[in-house]
Amino acid sequence: MTQAMLHSFQIHTHARYFRLATHQTFWQSRIVNSDPHLWLKDHGDYLYRYALSRLHNEDLASDMLQETLLAGWRGFENFAGQSSIRTWLVGILKHKIIDHIRLDIRNRKLAESVENDPTSAYFNENGSWSEAPSAWQDNPEELCQSEQFHAVLESCIGKLPEKQQIVFRMRDITGDDSDTICKSCDMTSTHLHVLLHRARLALRMCLQWNWFGEGSRS
Amino acid sequence: MKHACKEISRLASDSLDRKLGLWEKLKFRMHLFICVNCRNCDNNLKLIRNALDLIEKTKYGQARLSDVQRDQLHQTLKKNTGC
Repeated sequence: MTQAMLHSFQIHTHARYFRLATHQTFWQSRIVNSDPHLWLKDHGDYLYRYALSRLHNEDLASDMLQETLLAGWRGFENFAGQSSIRTWLVGILKHKIIDHIRLDIRNRKLAESVENDPTSAYFNENGSWSEAPSAWQDNPEELCQSEQFHAVLESCIGKLPEKQQIVFRMRDITGDDSDTICKSCDMTSTHLHVLLHRARLALRMCLQWNWFGEGSRS
Repeated sequence: MKHACKEISRLASDSLDRKLGLWEKLKFRMHLFICVNCRNCDNNLKLIRNALDLIEKTKYGQARLSDVQRDQLHQTLKKNTGC
């Protein structure tokens, strides 16, 4: 098929909704639908869940989805066709979420110094445990079905300093990778690991007292 | 060879986020072998991670756009893209 034939094919059959990424030859390309309404229909719920699990706010998640669909429509020429359209849209959404969180942290001027290590409270001067961690008998499947446990867990996470909460939620609840979190929060991976260590030990202690410890549920 | 539990707790946390180096791993494993407290702490941290993972899946696994949200999105798209 010649370029001229291809051109007329494009113009006549999919003038508006089907576009080919310009730098590709016909044989490499797949025809991908560029109608944002169809993207919303096919991938809307998936993208919405992705945003909601990171932003924990329905209106905000819907706004991010809207911006993503519009950005995808405007920048469709950049779609390389090597990944699926869903993967490409998730990539756009991911960057929008990172930018949002970064701005939010800057605006609220959240900072936590690396000095004054709060984990020191759990250890003696020689670095051994001041209160020995006990073995927890519950298993995750049973725990996650308990409404009471959800409440205790959420209140324990809520007691963490704000920046620890943000990185802990991103890492252990949403499951984002370290790179994404470092970018969102403008921090080095070492700083991130320091904060996660603090958050996890504090959370462990809180659950020990309020859930797993002897007599905590009586 | 006794490494402070505080340092080991950091490695227990880090092992959830990155691959430990060879020396770190050796230090970590050997300490857990002799220290029941750190073994418990390590298991506690893993239990928290797994429980949160399961809770998250049940919480957002079923989330969908509402009809209202969907209509609004279609309208905005129409206004901004003309199609």
